[in-house]
Amino acid sequence: MSITQRVQQWATFGRVWHVYDCSYQNPFDSAKVIVKYLKGMQKPIYHPMNDCGDHVVCINTKQIALPGDEWTKRAYFHHTGYPSSATWTLAWELHSKDPMMIMKKAIYRSLGGNLQRRHTMQRLHLFKDDKVPQEVLDNITNQIRQLRPVPQRLDHIDQEVIDNFPKIMDYPEDYLPKAIK
Amino acid sequence: MVFLTALRLTRARGPDEWWRKRKVFKLAAFFYGRRRNCYSLAIRSLHRALVYATKSRALKKMDLIELWKQRISGGLESHGLEYWQFMDGLHKSNIQLNRKVLADLAAFEPATFESLSKIALDVKEAENDENSNKN
Repeated sequence: MSITQRVQQWATFGRVWHVYDCSYQNPFDSAKVIVKYLKGMQKPIYHPMNDCGDHVVCINTKQIALPGDEWTKRAYFHHTGYPSSATWTLAWELHSKDPMMIMKKAIYRSLGGNLQRRHTMQRLHLFKDDKVPQEVLDNITNQIRQLRPVPQRLDHIDQEVIDNFPKIMDYPEDYLPKAIK
Repeated sequence: MVFLTALRLTRARGPDEWWRKRKVFKLAAFFYGRRRNCYSLAIRSLHRALVYATKSRALKKMDLIELWKQRISGGLESHGLEYWQFMDGLHKSNIQLNRKVLADLAAFEPATFESLSKIALDVKEAENDENSNKN
């Protein structure tokens, strides 16, 4: 094998590290995208038995956005194995206990069940905020595009921009806004 | 064999029993346990195995088609096209390459594959222009 071909071989089978920013992203839709990179399905050499998956670093998992009323309706089941030890934890409760668990479970679920799943999960690195160790950051070479734009929060906009925003009228001094039900 | 009467002809059952069973045993040689040595069990599992083999010939083709699709869409990941758009574009430009060849090109001839994806992209853009002109 010539030198160029050898390098080509390394480049083909080398593991790429991707970063995914979870802020304001739906974890269940994002999981489908992340799984594609974990399994190596974005490569033309993909085969279920070919170990060609990449590493994915998920940051800001604390900032995920669940759709609709999922925070209060979605329950996570756990059973220790002892009688009457079944527990159902609501998503908001689980998220306050461990901000990485909802993302982890969403990805674990969408990987599908086989013996490879636990090993594929080893290539997933979750971080609750953007504080990532330097040795992990050094490996990252690619960013996975977010599925939806991050909305701008009103309290993050400069007061100057808000004041200068065009408006058609000023509210009267004694105006009371309608109460939100 | 020579049959002197018609009665003998109807009662004769093909080759000798030992040779008949030997054919089955040869096919069942790799089965597990008594299924390879006991004729009644061997013939039973052999019939099943042959049915599976027949069905799997179609299934194997389906599995490979699925794999090729996956590999082509993997190769298209960096060229901004979906699988169906790519195949549709190639079909409309009369490029008659099958999925197997396209999957091989994606892995071993990435430059060729990229130019094919550009052709498909051109077709898509031309269609978009036509649609916008109509509206």
